[in-house]
Amino acid sequence: MPRHDRRPGLRLLGYVGLGAVCALMLLPFLYMLSIASGTGNQTGLLPGRFALLGNIHTVVTSAGFGRFLLNSVIMSGGIAVLDVLISGCAGYALGTLQFPGKRVLFGAVIAILGVSPIVVVIPVYVMLRDVGWLNSYQGLIVPLMCSAFGVFLVRQFALGIPGSVIQAARLDGASELRILAKVAVPFLRPALLTLLLLDFLAQWDNLIWPLVVASQSSLWTVAVGLSSFQGEHGIVYNLMAAAGLVSMIPPFLLFLLLQRNYVRGVTFGGIDR
Amino acid sequence: MMYFAVFWMIPFGLAVYYSFTSYDLFTPPHWVGGANYSLLFTRDPEFLHSLAITSLFVVVTVVPTTVLAVALAAPISQGGKLYGLYRALLVIPAVMPLVASSVIWIVIYSPGGMANAILGLLGLPPVAWLTGTSSAYWGLVIMTVWKYLGFYFLIILAGMQAIPRSLYHAAALDGAGALRTFLRITLPLTRRTLAFVVVIGVIAAAQSFVPAYILTAGGPANATELLPLYLYKTAFSFTDMGLAAAVSVIMTVVLFAVALVQYRVIQGGTRHAAP
Repeated sequence: MPRHDRRPGLRLLGYVGLGAVCALMLLPFLYMLSIASGTGNQTGLLPGRFALLGNIHTVVTSAGFGRFLLNSVIMSGGIAVLDVLISGCAGYALGTLQFPGKRVLFGAVIAILGVSPIVVVIPVYVMLRDVGWLNSYQGLIVPLMCSAFGVFLVRQFALGIPGSVIQAARLDGASELRILAKVAVPFLRPALLTLLLLDFLAQWDNLIWPLVVASQSSLWTVAVGLSSFQGEHGIVYNLMAAAGLVSMIPPFLLFLLLQRNYVRGVTFGGIDR
Repeated sequence: MMYFAVFWMIPFGLAVYYSFTSYDLFTPPHWVGGANYSLLFTRDPEFLHSLAITSLFVVVTVVPTTVLAVALAAPISQGGKLYGLYRALLVIPAVMPLVASSVIWIVIYSPGGMANAILGLLGLPPVAWLTGTSSAYWGLVIMTVWKYLGFYFLIILAGMQAIPRSLYHAAALDGAGALRTFLRITLPLTRRTLAFVVVIGVIAAAQSFVPAYILTAGGPANATELLPLYLYKTAFSFTDMGLAAAVSVIMTVVLFAVALVQYRVIQGGTRHAAP
């Protein structure tokens, strides 16, 4: 929108409005910091005393929370890395190679993109039970380690690899694996990093799957641990908020590292006109 | 591909099969025909209630979020002072993990929490956020809008930034005001992006599970028992896998139909918007 509006009053009002919305958006996070710094079930806007580090210490050293964090890192990290490897290869193949049945395979990927994950929860649960994978890391990871979204995303990027470059590499006698490593990976790097980040963030928040698969608390993730805070010994707000804060640190660090890729992933599909 | 077959296609087929059976996980499923479906639609008020509040939930979260995101993105789509800070502030909730966010909203909605403190500042009486049937529902709606606004905003902003600047210069030369420029240029040219946002927004909202599970566990009196939570309870609390599978199949069919209709709209949209 052009910024030479002739009504300064209206513009000021606009700025105030935008500022207010920004403040409202940020408030819950600040409130979380405040509650996590307070004592017991205090709910005032400002903490009576500053006990953030003490509360975090209590949380991290108590009640298996460290274990939940580790489980979350294993589950989210495992799924993200495997998805990048598997969907990366599949997307690359669909985007650049010619082979029989390619169209059918791509059609299948698109169809799966449309199936909501919630439908398969029950049958996959039964399958895992029958092979004895409930309450195991492979039960948490394997069913989610490859995504139709990942294949689709990588494929769209792989379409942009100039065919002549691959041809040239082949003429030079490079093996397919070498082409994958030297041509495809550098080219697809942004897409693969985007997938890594989005997968990690999504799985960090996956509550229903660990809830279904892991009934033993030794395999609980942070998501399950946080959600069970309510049931156990009433709610202690300050510890619950501190636990929430701690649980944000790993995804936040990864986000900081791969920020640019986040915007690319979220807006993917929305603007190709 | 084998993988997709094992973890998506076969399960999808099995889900359809289970939906025609009575299955409690311990004895093998046995065929009951369409009994699950007729039960859901004729003798299960809890399902119909859940279906109704989920449909309403989709509308009352997606529409305001989209409108707000457009209003927030339009003023800064051409850059401006504090652009980076502004964008970062708006996107923070979207980046905060949902489970951790839900946990803090429990405190925000507690009787002496932030929500009532803000109402107090505005001179309004406090609300029993998580314990009243309608206030708990609207509490979830508010939290959901807060959480997803950043996503919508980012996508819509990217769509607006893809509009050629020359169009804005031309409009300015013609003496068009801000509102007119917005209505004649910005809005029509972001139609496709808006349709995309609405499609993924609807699909995400219809499958919303975490906030309802953590904040209210579906209560009070099932007021916030959205379909995914209803499905989860039917399957894993009451181990009625057949009935739950039927619910999941219905959800998939409806969502697929919605996506298809919206896809058509997008296609139509591009044709009209093509210069």
